[in-house]
Amino acid sequence: MKSDKYFVRDIPRRKFLEMSVKGGLLVAATPALLSQLVSCSQSGPVTDPLTIDKATLDRVIAKALEKGGNFAEVYLENRHSRNIVMEESSFKSGLYGISQGAGVRVISGNKTGYAYTDEITEESLMRAAEVASYVATAGISTPPVNVSESSRNSFITVGRPLDEIADSARIEVIERADQAAMGYDPRIKMAMIDYYDEVRSRVIANSEGIYLRDELPLLFFIVQTMGEEGGARHLSRERLSRHSGFEMFDEVTPEEVARNAAREAVDMLGAEDAPAGMMDIVMQNGWGGVLVHEAVGHPLEADNIAKGVGAFTGKVGQKVASDLFTMVDDGSIPNARGTINYDDEGTQARRNVLIENGVLKGYMTDILSARQLGMERTGNGRRESFRYMPIPRMTNTFIENGDSNPADILSSTGKGLYVQSLSGGSVNPVTGVFNFTCREAYLIENGKKTRPVKGATLIGSCLDVISNVDAVGNDLAFGPGICGKGQSAEVDAGQPTLRIRGINVGGSRG
Amino acid sequence: MNYKDLTEKLVKRCLKFGADEAEVYLQVSRNLSVNILNGEIETIQEASSHGVGFRLFVDGKMGFSHCNDFSNSSLDETIKRAVAFAKLTTPDPNNVLPSDRSVSGISDLFDPDIKSVSMEEKIRMATLVETLAMKDPRVTKSSGSGFGESEREIFIANSHGLSKSYKSSSCSLGVSVVAEKGDQKNTGGEYCSRRFISDLLNPEEIAAAASRKAWEMLDPRMVNTQRAAVIFDPDVGRSLFGGVISAINGERVLQGASFLKEMMDKSFASPLLTIIDDGTRAKGLASSPFDGEGVPTQRRILVEKGVLKSFIHNTSSASRAGTVSTGNASRGGFSQLPGIGTHNLSLEPGKMSRNEIIANTSRGLLLKGVTGYGINPVNGNFSGGASGFWIERGEIAYPVKGLTIAGSAESILNGIDMMGNDIDQNLSFAAPTLRVAEMQIGGR
Repeated sequence: MKSDKYFVRDIPRRKFLEMSVKGGLLVAATPALLSQLVSCSQSGPVTDPLTIDKATLDRVIAKALEKGGNFAEVYLENRHSRNIVMEESSFKSGLYGISQGAGVRVISGNKTGYAYTDEITEESLMRAAEVASYVATAGISTPPVNVSESSRNSFITVGRPLDEIADSARIEVIERADQAAMGYDPRIKMAMIDYYDEVRSRVIANSEGIYLRDELPLLFFIVQTMGEEGGARHLSRERLSRHSGFEMFDEVTPEEVARNAAREAVDMLGAEDAPAGMMDIVMQNGWGGVLVHEAVGHPLEADNIAKGVGAFTGKVGQKVASDLFTMVDDGSIPNARGTINYDDEGTQARRNVLIENGVLKGYMTDILSARQLGMERTGNGRRESFRYMPIPRMTNTFIENGDSNPADILSSTGKGLYVQSLSGGSVNPVTGVFNFTCREAYLIENGKKTRPVKGATLIGSCLDVISNVDAVGNDLAFGPGICGKGQSAEVDAGQPTLRIRGINVGGSRG
Repeated sequence: MNYKDLTEKLVKRCLKFGADEAEVYLQVSRNLSVNILNGEIETIQEASSHGVGFRLFVDGKMGFSHCNDFSNSSLDETIKRAVAFAKLTTPDPNNVLPSDRSVSGISDLFDPDIKSVSMEEKIRMATLVETLAMKDPRVTKSSGSGFGESEREIFIANSHGLSKSYKSSSCSLGVSVVAEKGDQKNTGGEYCSRRFISDLLNPEEIAAAASRKAWEMLDPRMVNTQRAAVIFDPDVGRSLFGGVISAINGERVLQGASFLKEMMDKSFASPLLTIIDDGTRAKGLASSPFDGEGVPTQRRILVEKGVLKSFIHNTSSASRAGTVSTGNASRGGFSQLPGIGTHNLSLEPGKMSRNEIIANTSRGLLLKGVTGYGINPVNGNFSGGASGFWIERGEIAYPVKGLTIAGSAESILNGIDMMGNDIDQNLSFAAPTLRVAEMQIGGR
């Protein structure tokens, strides 16, 4: 069964907690104990699960293709994660997790068989291979090539490896953020801080003969603050995330993240009801790029195109957006949250221009959709974990810089809505109809940002909105998010400040 | 393997390794899914898994760990880590485990027949529902159909002598299609989930609903921005009440992050609104004999005639609030600590038929689809994208798309002036058609 809706959020709290518990071993620990737990796991019966030899992988791949099929793949994964949560200035929980498992996939024509196992042994891999081969049709057969070490470029550098960071340093970061948030203003009544880090090790081996192994570190730091005054309440949010080492917090301090969150909570307390109806929108640079992630990015993922149902089906080479509009997905931006070195099928990540000066250039593919469409692999085949098959996903998706000065864009907009940040939204990839909820927005009156408004929703169709972009700034910036499409993926969305003429805004004031 | 014995034995292991109190939550599950596209198998996925979580207290301090390797050495190792962790956390007097040994009697949560139906038959059902949904000439493409099933057995034991288990199953059948006309595209999807495979709606019914949802929204129009009545279809009830349910979560109330925190025993909604949470309904998709930490589930009135009657609690939030658990500990699996959530939610149906509600509306929106987060549980704002049908002079006039609706929880919930009698109790969120007298609708 297919979900009709894809969504992205800046941080769905429940989902975020789930990210740390993808099966395998999870240990809740006070941060002070985490290093002790790591060493205790080393002394225990746990061995490196990903060292299964290449000859075994060859046997599993051969088994998977025994009944026929064009492609088989083994994916092994091991994930160490730490998640520490502070609420109401107390440490609420600390989790330490080790999750491991393997998935075997067989593609036969347009059919895919998939089975996964929590155990990484030859016996369980062979069993998974047999289950996955259920879809294979005799007659369709591509003989496997024995796997051998392959090489790919890396875009992730690590200054301070997460495994070498004392847990007291993680605690300190959280406490510093809490103090900065609570000290910002007496109207800040509560702060909630989520700290998450993980190191994901993966092995990808397939019937085309590749064998790849690497480690991806990931940090995600979220500060939410609740402002309250009179009867008004606002829960604000600020996020920081990269594929990098702990040096992330040297470059952007926890205090900076916390103060940004607290500022929003206080500023929005005076918000009045948002107006309703069609209006011009100025979208501040950064996370606002999530609008095109949803409205344009998902419809450009090649799985729906291969089915012939996507909104952009058959439109390559056609003018689909304003001349000012260039959109890129780039999984090779150094250390960004959406950066992946190579995708979870082993295809090198790269910069893919999707729309250039309004003309549609291409789609984002995985192995299956690239083959179905007769297109190149673009490095977008991603998976949440070994429990999921890879599917076409975005990485770091953004609107390219234009040449307008952001201040001029605002001052030349007589009346409208200034959207400073969005919570997230969803799109129907077939019809291209999207919706977004504004977390922080202001009225524009006489070219100036004036009063804050609450409860504004933006809706529309993707083709209309990208045709109505009439000013693009030169201040490209990014924001981190979690994208959901039946499985989650870490992404960045970005844009310069820009103006869209005539978007339908939902508010409670007529 | 005798999991009940294992679960009880593991509680003793926890105590032996230094816990004062301990809870063991063990889960065994099996899943299968078949997806069909254009009459061919698109994907088949299958997996079995198991795992166990340990929540334990040492001097009032909590530790939690879990693993999915059931060898004695790994289980012992995992317990030791939780004990070591507990010794280092801050004590909390609300770290308590339940001791009620009773269970709520609920029939028919497990269907042994799901597993015995052959793979070929499951493929046939999914293929058929797609074929039927494509029959209407206005429907031009399929987005796929599918059959899914899962079986799950839960074992909970704790050091207060509580030891319980239950087995459950579910299965689902659904399809999503596209209707096209000129440049227009519209999707329609329908799926049915049940505990028992023999209770699934027949493929004809599912296919017809998906097909109709796809074509009935073709040729939509736009209306002017205005205030008008909004009739909520049963499918979109959750969007309206999801935020209310979040706002009565006992922990969020204690943290002050709820627009209903001061409203206990006060009226905050129309007298037509009664909301019931029931964890005990036979065959209910969200029924279970006990909640995520072993407390018997209940049938509980949360809102009665517009008056807030109950917050929902697990054992820990109840302790902090000075009350008792309402049997609402949720659990996202063996790897997670208990949270707070509801079971089968339903609104008490009213007296009017759906047609009467429409006939009594001179001008307004019959809301079929809503996007966005619904009512914000912190401040009560509601704003979302809307689609459905425009109503003029008591009749459905034409489809509308790309609208917005907005308001405050107070004005929307008090504005409910008609409650329908059409309720499908098979759903874990069951609402009838209902009308809000006036909302802000954003259009042209």
